[in-house]
Amino acid sequence: MKIIADRAALMEAANLVAAVVPARSPSPALSCLKLTAEKHGGVGTLTVAGTDAEASLEMTLTQVDVSQPGVAVVSAEKLKQILGAVAEGAPTITMELDGDQCKITGSHAKFRIFAFPAGDYPPFPDFAAAIGSATGPGAARSTFIHSAGGLLALVTRTVFATARETSRYAINGVLLKRDGRKIEMVATDGRRLALSRSTLKPQPAGGGAGGSGGESTPVSCIIPTRALNLLTRLAGDPEASVRIAVTDNRVFFAFYDVELKGKEGKDASGGGQSPRAILSSTLVEGTFPPYEDVIPKDHDKKATTGRDELSSAVRQASVLTNEESRGIRMTFSGKNKSVRLSSRAPELGDSEIDLGLTAYEGEDLTISFNPAFIADALRAVPEPEVMWEFKASNKPGVMKVGAEFLYVIMPVNLPE
Amino acid sequence: MSPLLASQIAAGEVVERPASVVKELIENSLDAGATRISVELEHGGIELIRVIDDGVGVPEHELYLALTAHATSKIAEVGDLDAIATMGFRGEALAAIASVSRTSFRSRPRTQVAAAEISAEGQTLSPPRPAGGPPGTSVTVRTLFFNTPARRKFLRTPQTEQGRCADVVRSIAMAQPNVAFTLTCDGRALLDLPPNQTARERALDILGRELEPELIEISADALDTLGTGGGTVGAAGASPIALWGLVGTPAVARATAAGQFVYINGRPVRDKVLQHALKEGYRGLIEPGRQPTCVLLVEMDPGAVDVNVHPAKSEVRFRDSSVVHGLVLRSVRRGLATADLTPRVAGAGSTAGASWNNRASGSAFESSPAPLGSPASPALFRPAPARTIDAAAFASAFREVRPAGNASLNFPALREALAPTRLAPPSGDASSENVPSPSASPAPLADTPATAASLPTVPSTGATPVPPAVGSMQSDAPEIEESLSPALQVFNSYLITQDEHGVLIIDQHALHERVMYERLLARIVGPDQRGEPGAVGVLERQAFLAPVPVAVTQRQREAAERLRPTLERLGIELDDLGPGGMGVRAFTSLLLERGVEPGEFVADMLERAAEEGWGTEGKAANAMPQPSPIDALVGERVVVEAVLHEVLDMMACKAAVKAGERLSDMELAELLALRQRIERSSNCPHGRPTSIRLSIRELEKRFGRV
Ligand SMILES: Nc1ncnc2c1ncn2[C@@H]1O[C@H](COP(=O)(O)OP(=O)(O)OP(=O)(O)O)[C@@H](O)[C@H]1O
Ligand SMILES: [Mg+2]
Repeated sequence: MKIIADRAALMEAANLVAAVVPARSPSPALSCLKLTAEKHGGVGTLTVAGTDAEASLEMTLTQVDVSQPGVAVVSAEKLKQILGAVAEGAPTITMELDGDQCKITGSHAKFRIFAFPAGDYPPFPDFAAAIGSATGPGAARSTFIHSAGGLLALVTRTVFATARETSRYAINGVLLKRDGRKIEMVATDGRRLALSRSTLKPQPAGGGAGGSGGESTPVSCIIPTRALNLLTRLAGDPEASVRIAVTDNRVFFAFYDVELKGKEGKDASGGGQSPRAILSSTLVEGTFPPYEDVIPKDHDKKATTGRDELSSAVRQASVLTNEESRGIRMTFSGKNKSVRLSSRAPELGDSEIDLGLTAYEGEDLTISFNPAFIADALRAVPEPEVMWEFKASNKPGVMKVGAEFLYVIMPVNLPE
Repeated sequence: MSPLLASQIAAGEVVERPASVVKELIENSLDAGATRISVELEHGGIELIRVIDDGVGVPEHELYLALTAHATSKIAEVGDLDAIATMGFRGEALAAIASVSRTSFRSRPRTQVAAAEISAEGQTLSPPRPAGGPPGTSVTVRTLFFNTPARRKFLRTPQTEQGRCADVVRSIAMAQPNVAFTLTCDGRALLDLPPNQTARERALDILGRELEPELIEISADALDTLGTGGGTVGAAGASPIALWGLVGTPAVARATAAGQFVYINGRPVRDKVLQHALKEGYRGLIEPGRQPTCVLLVEMDPGAVDVNVHPAKSEVRFRDSSVVHGLVLRSVRRGLATADLTPRVAGAGSTAGASWNNRASGSAFESSPAPLGSPASPALFRPAPARTIDAAAFASAFREVRPAGNASLNFPALREALAPTRLAPPSGDASSENVPSPSASPAPLADTPATAASLPTVPSTGATPVPPAVGSMQSDAPEIEESLSPALQVFNSYLITQDEHGVLIIDQHALHERVMYERLLARIVGPDQRGEPGAVGVLERQAFLAPVPVAVTQRQREAAERLRPTLERLGIELDDLGPGGMGVRAFTSLLLERGVEPGEFVADMLERAAEEGWGTEGKAANAMPQPSPIDALVGERVVVEAVLHEVLDMMACKAAVKAGERLSDMELAELLALRQRIERSSNCPHGRPTSIRLSIRELEKRFGRV
């Protein structure tokens, strides 16, 4: 293998992919990145790939000149450090494989690092097989295309509500549900639940068969939080397409640089387009809790407030909370069309913040929440207004933004 | 049945061994108002016990009565039995002793020109004959059990018996600091306690001066309004009660109760209510199974305590045990809370505790920087010196009003003795009289010579008080602003920092556990309610979208029901989800913040609760024997408090940082700051120490600088 690559592009890819690779591993080859240089019809590509037991990521660069195709397996950490250390002044990097040595040259610097045999690297889940075949172990149950922006919104509006702790009891993943053109993601940590919806564009016919109507088969699966956090770093142009494929035990996200339109011919990988990145992850086993049941429908109080105003009031009130006294009290007054946020931390002090409401319907109410739960959601939505629905102070509160986002928060009971 | 046999049977109850004879004889001397008592033993008392006093004596014509069963000068009517202020009251001890030994009783009242003596040998009682001697009484008991060989055979070696006799003398002398005691064994003086000591001096003479740095002085009184302020009981029978004591730091806790000296009205007792209060007071400071070293002198209306429960008089029954329990618990906790209990690193492997066992090597204590209990905090927050009831005045108030034959206590006198140290009620608030406030400074008794207990008074100018002297070290030691001292985390488990006394090595988990425990406890019972298990606060809880399921057995379900009210105060709400299961509907915010998994926590807790019988009568019965209606109430509160502590223990442990957890600089600083703020930071809730200290002096010694 011998290539000349754009340093910045290679560094970006290496950094992203390295996030998948385990930093330390009993077998050193597993802490490596696999670089594959190819040449098709005079056009060179370099694929930077990494994997661990759960997730894998392959990123393909075109800003590369391949003089000799080949594969190099090198330490992810060392490659990252070298690319970072080479002076900014070096726009390109030369990499050359020489036996079990990989030579890396940039402006005035030369490095040699050990290269592992390509065969030592674990195999990658086969995206092409997933979308290309109708049956078999790796075949997709469902494949569909969504815009990168749409997918990103679904993910950012839910992933924050997954349990932060890696507890064997918590669901460390987000539910993905697709039925026809409707798509929904749901996350919960037991105390709050975030639900985000969106609608798929009409799917290009035959753009990856999935055999017996794979595209329209309803599917639901739980995707690990870690993969989704990676995903948010991969989305580029919001209009560009992402092809999603769900097999029995994996999910694939293939990111393209363009929007895939209908009638693309037979090329299973996206109508002649190669994906810029393919992220794949095993699915979380188990069943998602029956979330429909916990979404309250019997609210009789409604408040509307500006997102930024609420966000700043919550931030102020949470100054005087601590880990044992987490809650802030929200006292809604219909008469004043306002809400008072108050907090009190033993031995610290207390606070009161008044905030005007755009609208309020129903009887006055006092209810307390963990302010972090509110802040998380407000960060995830770009809309200027949010709507609240309540029933009682010991019943869940619901935050709604448009038709796309619904958020259920369980209250805290503040000591009197 | 012959009178002799009857006496011998009675003797079996009263007289078991030389030590019991010593005890009865000394008590008689005290009842006679003696100011000097000397005890002589030969062969551990097996051959001879002689007790000489300078008390009121017995007139010649009454001498024979002294050795006759049920002749007592101390109780005239049955009604007197309700308010016993003397040590003896049954009039059977001397008769019993005389029936199993060769006893001679020589006495001379002050008004009588010469002494007279009678002697008894088993059955035979000789007529009084004149004898020489100073005013007072001298009782000699020879060849104990000479006529009951079986019992004589059961006596131990002279050394053992002598040791027991000495224990008895120490035990009684502890509570009689005005009375001089000497103990001579086979011609060797073992104990020589001067008269008119303060309670503190007496205690230190008996415990050993080298223990002084490890002892914290406590005192409290609750006159008049007792029971109306603190609790729900006792208001009707409000009666005066006062307490003085020295409580040992965890470092001098021992495997047995041998270091415990507990008294009611000067009478050594082994009482379960007091034992329990003491144990609770030390909860979390010493490991289970170890016993604190302490001296506790409780004085109360003799009418409020029944001592006629057992012939050896070491058991008592209180009319209102909740008052006594509460007072002891509060005082002990408060005393321990204000003291720095950090154990010092002495020589390799040796600790203060070891030195207590080996009094010859008192060196570990020489370096002790400051007497514990002497607060050295900034002026603004400086707690008042531990209330120094002038021990001499305190004791003499009782002494004066207790001439032989007068069973009633003079409460005005007692009150007067205590009055100068009591706080002036700031606003007629009765409760402030009950509980000595640590923030107010009592006026020391003007005419009292400073006792060892007296702390330097705070200069009225409000200037920062000089820290307690650290011997010659003080001048060289740089002044260290503790809060600014950086800390180093080693092995991700221990923190190393410094304070004004030396280098501190802190177990991060143990300390954080203690910090958590104290914060939660303060939140639940309120900072001023220590020892009063009344409901004050509840912890914040976070509700769940759906109950977190927990599989339970029937016994665990029952435990959950028992614990429900306590759990709700702690922020845990459980739902019954039908057969086999319960659900956690809401869980303590703090625990969630700290990443504790609710289902797991509740499952663990219910398992322990069912197994160990948390919240059942069983525990109450252990703590409180023979519950009267009032005792049952105390018992219940104690049970509730015990459950609270158990659950808090678990919470604190789960929420605390673990050993091996890397702490950020911020977290380090915060933990150390918390250490300053919380009480009892020296030990984790399980009683293991959280920190140990290597004193500056020790460092200098090791580096050969001194
Ligand atoms: N050291 C003494 N000085 C003056 N009187 C004494 C002395 N020892 C005994 N007496 C007199 O002898 C009596 C009998 O003593 P004894 O110890 O048998 O009974 P008690 O002290 O009255 O009751 P108890 O059996 O509970 O000890 C006492 O009541 C007291 O009058
Ligand atoms: Mg007696």
